[in-house]
Amino acid sequence: MIAVEHLVKQYGRFTAVDGISLDVRPGEIHGFLGPNGAGKTTTLRMMAGLLKPTSGRVVVNGHEVAAEPELAKASLGFIPDRPFIYEKLTAGEFLRFHAGLYGLDGDGVTDRVHEMLDLFELRRWEHELVESFSHGMKQRLVMCAAFLHRPRAVAVDEPMVGLDPRGARLIKDVFRRMSERGVAILMSTHTLEVAQEMCQRLSIILKGKIIAQGTVDDVRRLAGGADDHLTSMFLRLTGGSALQELDEAV
Amino acid sequence: MKGAFTYLLLPAVWSSRNRAARRQPGDLTRAFLFGVMGIGVFAALFYGAAWVTWQLDGYEELGDYLLRLGLSWLFMTFLAFLAFSGVVTALSTFFLSDDLRLLLTAPIAARRLFYARFAKTVARSSWMVIVFITPVLLGVGVVRCAPATFYLTSALTLLPFAIIPVAVGTASTLLLVNVFPARRARDLLMLMGFLFAASVVILVRMIRPEQLMRAESLPDLTGFFSTLQSPLTPLLPSFWAGELLFASLKGGWDPLHAGALWSTALVCCVGLRIADERWHFSGYSRSQEAPKARFAHFRGIDVIARTLPLSPVRRQLLVKDMKIFLRDVSQWSQLLLLFALMLIYLYNFRVLDLGRIPYMSRFVKNVYALLNLGMAGFVLATVAVRFVFPMVSAEGRAFWLIRKSPVEMRDFLWSKFWTGLVPVLLLTETLTVAANELLDVDPFLKTVAALAIVFLSLALVGLATGLGARYPRFTADNPSELAGSYGGVAFMIVAVLLIIVIIALVGWPSTSYLYYQLRHRPIPALRLALMGACFAAAVVLTVTTWLHSMRSGIRALDAMSN
Repeated sequence: MIAVEHLVKQYGRFTAVDGISLDVRPGEIHGFLGPNGAGKTTTLRMMAGLLKPTSGRVVVNGHEVAAEPELAKASLGFIPDRPFIYEKLTAGEFLRFHAGLYGLDGDGVTDRVHEMLDLFELRRWEHELVESFSHGMKQRLVMCAAFLHRPRAVAVDEPMVGLDPRGARLIKDVFRRMSERGVAILMSTHTLEVAQEMCQRLSIILKGKIIAQGTVDDVRRLAGGADDHLTSMFLRLTGGSALQELDEAV
Repeated sequence: MKGAFTYLLLPAVWSSRNRAARRQPGDLTRAFLFGVMGIGVFAALFYGAAWVTWQLDGYEELGDYLLRLGLSWLFMTFLAFLAFSGVVTALSTFFLSDDLRLLLTAPIAARRLFYARFAKTVARSSWMVIVFITPVLLGVGVVRCAPATFYLTSALTLLPFAIIPVAVGTASTLLLVNVFPARRARDLLMLMGFLFAASVVILVRMIRPEQLMRAESLPDLTGFFSTLQSPLTPLLPSFWAGELLFASLKGGWDPLHAGALWSTALVCCVGLRIADERWHFSGYSRSQEAPKARFAHFRGIDVIARTLPLSPVRRQLLVKDMKIFLRDVSQWSQLLLLFALMLIYLYNFRVLDLGRIPYMSRFVKNVYALLNLGMAGFVLATVAVRFVFPMVSAEGRAFWLIRKSPVEMRDFLWSKFWTGLVPVLLLTETLTVAANELLDVDPFLKTVAALAIVFLSLALVGLATGLGARYPRFTADNPSELAGSYGGVAFMIVAVLLIIVIIALVGWPSTSYLYYQLRHRPIPALRLALMGACFAAAVVLTVTTWLHSMRSGIRALDAMSN
């Protein structure tokens, strides 16, 4: 459903993403892990059509983002790490406008908007300005928008940041339900427990390159440890000595 | 509707509607004040245009010729303004605007997005020109008893006339952004723009246009007209617009220039759209990239700050404020224009030929000295509302850093005050002292004016700092917007009133003193006491305003923390 092939992004002489390839199948939740500055957000932004790749390609639902951007974007729901929402619109207005951007029209739109607001527990805020929302509420509103047009694939950047436990639980449930309906989800996250709990497969990126890919068991084998915890595997793969230095500094 | 490009403009419409429906405190007052000011400017422009047209009416054919020339000149001036405004606005609407992050991930055809953004660019770049030109054309039309078609033609002329230069400006931006990163291009453009504006202002002043009004310095008539006509080439849209409007003013119709205007606007739109479809995404993608920015370290500021007798908190606040201000081109580039205006202001005093009226020169000089005090006060208020008032808000989303630190709000606000006071005082004191020196006013008045500016600076900088703390907007993207906020408008009103009162309190005793001095008569004791009371009242009023504003600002910040 989502195929990333030999994707490269260079900023001058600096290579932020260095020939990565990955695929996310229908119904799969694929964890995209890596330390800060590894190239996760850059990759997701290229998938969403916000950044032009230096080379390589991204295909969503059979449509290449560079060649058929409208068809590819119509199949994708994108949840960025720093989403933009019109602060002076109400939640309902924002979702209706968003529906229009994806060509949704007619009486069904209002029902769909309500369905999404109910799903993300925002219905009673429908007529409130977005500027009065908390961070978690804005995050949930952006997710409403991303799922509004029934995308076949979803790319999500750090979905759990700033959410309370109830909000995080809600998002996990929604993602699971969407994946059961065949939606492919590529999820970038730092929360390794979430990745371990939800993802069928993982890709670990470091300095722009994929250094490990596969199921949690595959990654464990690659990391060469018997430890069950994804955190230990992640630190072994990405260089965990910094933690010891941190301990010493504190 | 949802397929049309206008759908993409809906959030702006809905946002405005919601903003109007959920008024904030002070919105009505601000709307009223701006409304009154707007009506005043509209009326002045209408009256000015009507008066000039009426004067020209007396010269029959020559008047017609000058009116025709005037219309072309008017449009020519706006042509350059619109092109430059188009460059700057397009940077924001096409490349830097936050909502692009949402719109570009949606399946919107590039063509549709282009038309929506271009419509926004044209509207934002040209609204000021339209607001200015409407009363002017109305004034011309009313005096010339123009037919209704003149007003219709005006509307049909302004649209393509705005589209052409804005399209050229947008095309330049498209090119620029594909060469430089967008944020760097914006800084570069702002600097260039202000330098350009400053040099034009200085140049226009240096050629001393007032000499044209003196009969003895007029060139021969043919030379005068050829000079006037030389920049008006028939190849520019400004010429077509001028000709088209002049023809319709006379009740006729000029299909040639109407055709030229509309067809060029159409070609510009289509050409720009093709270029946009080809290069917009690569330019936008570049604008998202954040290569290591080059910046000045300003280590000198650290060195100077270390030598100042300041507490560590105040020293670090000063260093931070200075560095942030100097590294943001959009903040300090406006100062260039201000310096240009100041130079012209002083130059005017230099070329002022008061010797031509010997009986009056002494009296006029002293009146000028008081006017100069008012002018310096007004410059002070303007600089304070633009640079000092936003200082607390400029902490922006990083204000949490101050609030969570063991820094007293008193320390914080007083640091802001001194940071603002030093440059403002230097600026206005230089302006006042230099202008009075050039005028050669009485030494007594020189001293009074110099002292008055010190006290006014304390009061107005204190007022701006205090009100800035009482009405902060930590979410504002650009501190320059804050001058138009409720607190900014309130500051300007109080500042202007204070300046008027101080000039009255200082002006009356000063002129009284000069009156008695000129007649070599002693000042009666009662009058002397009254004069002293006036000076004392001025001191008390300014010091009270200063300290009360600061105290009120500190209280507001403390309340925020509690």
